[in-house]
Amino acid sequence: MAAGAREVADRLARGSAGGPGGAVPWQRVTTGDDTVAVAERGALGTSARVAVWPPASLGLACAAADDVLDRLDRQASRFRPDSELSWLHAARGGMFLLSDGLAEAVGVALAAARWTGGLTDPTIGDALVSLGYDRDFAAIGEDGDLAAIGEDGDLAAIGGDGTPPGATVAAPGWQLVQLDGPLLRIPPGIRLDLGATAKGLGSDRAVRAVLSAVGGQGGVLISLGGDIAVGGTPPRDGWPVTVAEEPGQAGQLVRLTAGAVATSSVTVRRWRRGGAEVHHIVDPRTGRPADGPWRTATVAAATCADANAASTAAIVAGAAAEDWLATAGLPARLTGHDGRVRDLNGWPGPEAGAWAPVPTAADSHVYAAGPAMRPRTRPPGGGR
Amino acid sequence: MDPSIRDGAHRDGLRQARRMSNWTAAALIAGTGVAAVALAHQASVAAPATTGNAAAGAAPAAGNTAGAGAQAGSGPRVTHSVATTTASGVTVITTTRTVNGKTIVTRVRHAPATADN
Repeated sequence: MAAGAREVADRLARGSAGGPGGAVPWQRVTTGDDTVAVAERGALGTSARVAVWPPASLGLACAAADDVLDRLDRQASRFRPDSELSWLHAARGGMFLLSDGLAEAVGVALAAARWTGGLTDPTIGDALVSLGYDRDFAAIGEDGDLAAIGEDGDLAAIGGDGTPPGATVAAPGWQLVQLDGPLLRIPPGIRLDLGATAKGLGSDRAVRAVLSAVGGQGGVLISLGGDIAVGGTPPRDGWPVTVAEEPGQAGQLVRLTAGAVATSSVTVRRWRRGGAEVHHIVDPRTGRPADGPWRTATVAAATCADANAASTAAIVAGAAAEDWLATAGLPARLTGHDGRVRDLNGWPGPEAGAWAPVPTAADSHVYAAGPAMRPRTRPPGGGR
Repeated sequence: MDPSIRDGAHRDGLRQARRMSNWTAAALIAGTGVAAVALAHQASVAAPATTGNAAAGAAPAAGNTAGAGAQAGSGPRVTHSVATTTASGVTVITTTRTVNGKTIVTRVRHAPATADN
């Protein structure tokens, strides 16, 4: 066991272990089963959770996840001024030689945009900034001029100085961004936001890293803000997972044996700007918050980047979400603004009872086939 | 040479050849059987034990099952939810501490920072 992993393991045995560079420490989570070990910490502006069996692998798993999360944050965060993505934005267009990690993140985002027909689009950065989503939610809340929706459902006013809402800006279009291996060409004036795929990508990376760290022994579940990927050998009948619109809520109980599941919702990350209530899932075609009939979408897929992109795309697709998900062949659970629930494409309905298995698609739409999990550069079947 | 002796030697030769052929055939049959049993045993060990439709065909071409194939049935039995798939805007961090031998679980609900899905 590496020294760092051993230290994490020792400290976890005492209840908590710090992440890299003084990051939020991992905390052991008691679930009621001692056959798996679970730990959680804040990461990437949300929470990260690691579950492994055998339990003795937890230290190695947390250390491996730390490395992935730290790298991803330094590569792709739109909010960190020292991230590689921020450095790229500061250059205002041109040709760049990216790190392998950011090249993969951009490649996955572009593959998702191609797959979803632009329902997700990494060139949406300026649209989000225009709506006021231009900084870290926590930091804005501390400043007092923007805050996430409160526990009681109240919205703290943002732009409390009466700032009128910015003019909506449609995404320039992912087709304008060209990526050839690590070489990125981006026109001036385009700001990237990888939010539709980054958390899923992080979960996928962390699963691979953990499996590598433990020599492929046992199984692992990684959750980044509720976007969950599993790998290795799952527990008997699969990993037990709750499906809920918000953490802490009662929800549907399902089992996941392979692949991933992700949820997107407009019920959180809401703010008020110039008297108008807005949220963070923006339609790239209009630059405005998606206003379809679905408030929450949960999608199962072969990988977490697929599930992450598809759940966001389903919210943006609105009334067309059911058709799009059927075409994509992805099991999904949609919840409307009126509370009605639609279980689609094999997603277990109420008749399946608790702990029903969630089917997952066999193939990824955003990674090319093969063990390396590289981003697709062309859709399945060729063409562009 | 006496034709009867020559015929007898010929018959002995044929008999010996047939005997050899029979032994060869028997050995081949036995060998094939042993090989089949060995292969069947190896296949049963290697094949993933699947339960339900979630495991069937679930190993993605570029999915998260590399390293150890997805197998439902060979891991431990887990009866409690280990994670929640949910919107990421509000999270609950669970803290477990042991104080004076008692386990104290604290849940802190907070709106996190950057990630957007």
